[in-house]
Amino acid sequence: MALATLKNVRFAGMATCVPRRILSNINDCPPSLRSERERLVRNIGIETRRICQEWQCLSDLAYDAANRLIDQLGWKKEDIDGLIVVTQSPDYLIPSTAIILQDRLGLEHTTIAYDVNLGCSGYPFGLHLLGSLIATGSVRKGLLVVGDKSATIKDPLFSDAGTVTALEFRENSNPWFFDLNSDGSGFKAIMLPVGGHRNPVKFFHLIPSEDEHGILHLPTDLILDGTAVLSFSTQRVPPAVEKTLAYANKKIDEIDYFLFHQANKMINETIRKKLRLPEERVPSTLKEFGNTSGASIPVTITARLREKLTEGSKQLLLGGFGIGLSWGTAIIKVEEACLPELIEA
Amino acid sequence: MEEFIEKFQEAVDFQDPVEVTENTVLLDLPEWDSLAALGVIVMFDIEYGKTITGDHLLKSKTIKDLFELTVA
Repeated sequence: MALATLKNVRFAGMATCVPRRILSNINDCPPSLRSERERLVRNIGIETRRICQEWQCLSDLAYDAANRLIDQLGWKKEDIDGLIVVTQSPDYLIPSTAIILQDRLGLEHTTIAYDVNLGCSGYPFGLHLLGSLIATGSVRKGLLVVGDKSATIKDPLFSDAGTVTALEFRENSNPWFFDLNSDGSGFKAIMLPVGGHRNPVKFFHLIPSEDEHGILHLPTDLILDGTAVLSFSTQRVPPAVEKTLAYANKKIDEIDYFLFHQANKMINETIRKKLRLPEERVPSTLKEFGNTSGASIPVTITARLREKLTEGSKQLLLGGFGIGLSWGTAIIKVEEACLPELIEA
Repeated sequence: MEEFIEKFQEAVDFQDPVEVTENTVLLDLPEWDSLAALGVIVMFDIEYGKTITGDHLLKSKTIKDLFELTVA
């Protein structure tokens, strides 16, 4: 069932950590690519990105964000009994990064901890999963880590971020509404074709080829079919938003902010225009933070809505979409949440 | 057609503007690339309420072929 309602779950807070290292899409690209890159930046809307140090993992960003959030919430670590990590850049292929983080964060052995392999669509799915564990009473206080280490120097789209959202059981909280979908027929639209069991890394996968700008490409690099992803996003997301609004019995005017996965400006503007949403209610962080995969909705909340959500009560619609293919919408109410300032590590 | 060409030029957002007529062959345009294709897909969606795919673009040789998709 794609449509779902969750009750008795409270959004207690959220923290975002990004790497300190900033890359400029224009200034840091080879001179021969400059003109082409200027045109690309105008269209994708991404000027700068954050990139991890070589040694830095998603879990390191999440570790800093989690400690700051737990501290500011005043939560005791022994009260936390759920830790879900939504990522496609785990520390190791196995075991789950969530279990490693359970120990690093000093959480109890009684913690439910595991990873979920989702990318750009991950935030609504993560809220639904941890929210469900809380709604059923399996977890009282839980942490949802969402983020990826997907930035590379040569690719102008992706940027790194780690986010942690704290959810807790609270009777009579406002219900949350979800519409969650999957279409595996489009799995080739965004993929790492090599490195899994279907096509393990072999010696010849490590031999790079050079393009006309002297940039090296490996068979192990990410494949992204731009037209397929654009068509999928702009065709699937607007009706999904309308369907979720109808399910929640809410009108567009009752939603304070629409937070979409930050894919690129072309996709995000097309979605906004098709839904006829005013710019001021659709915050964007593409310009400074690029496409931070599943973290992009939380990154945008921290960077654009921190003060507004700390003070009052806001109705948010969250729309994630991408790799899988997978797309999900959530309508949640956030009241007096704890939102630490952006953390840089 | 004039209006279509104007919208096309805006959608492809070429770095070095070139003259485009209805007989212009898409592959002859120096900057006709995947980014331009994305721009055209968005243009069809927003301006004409039409869904076109990468396949439609591959089958269109000239600007006129593209224009015909708006009335198809």
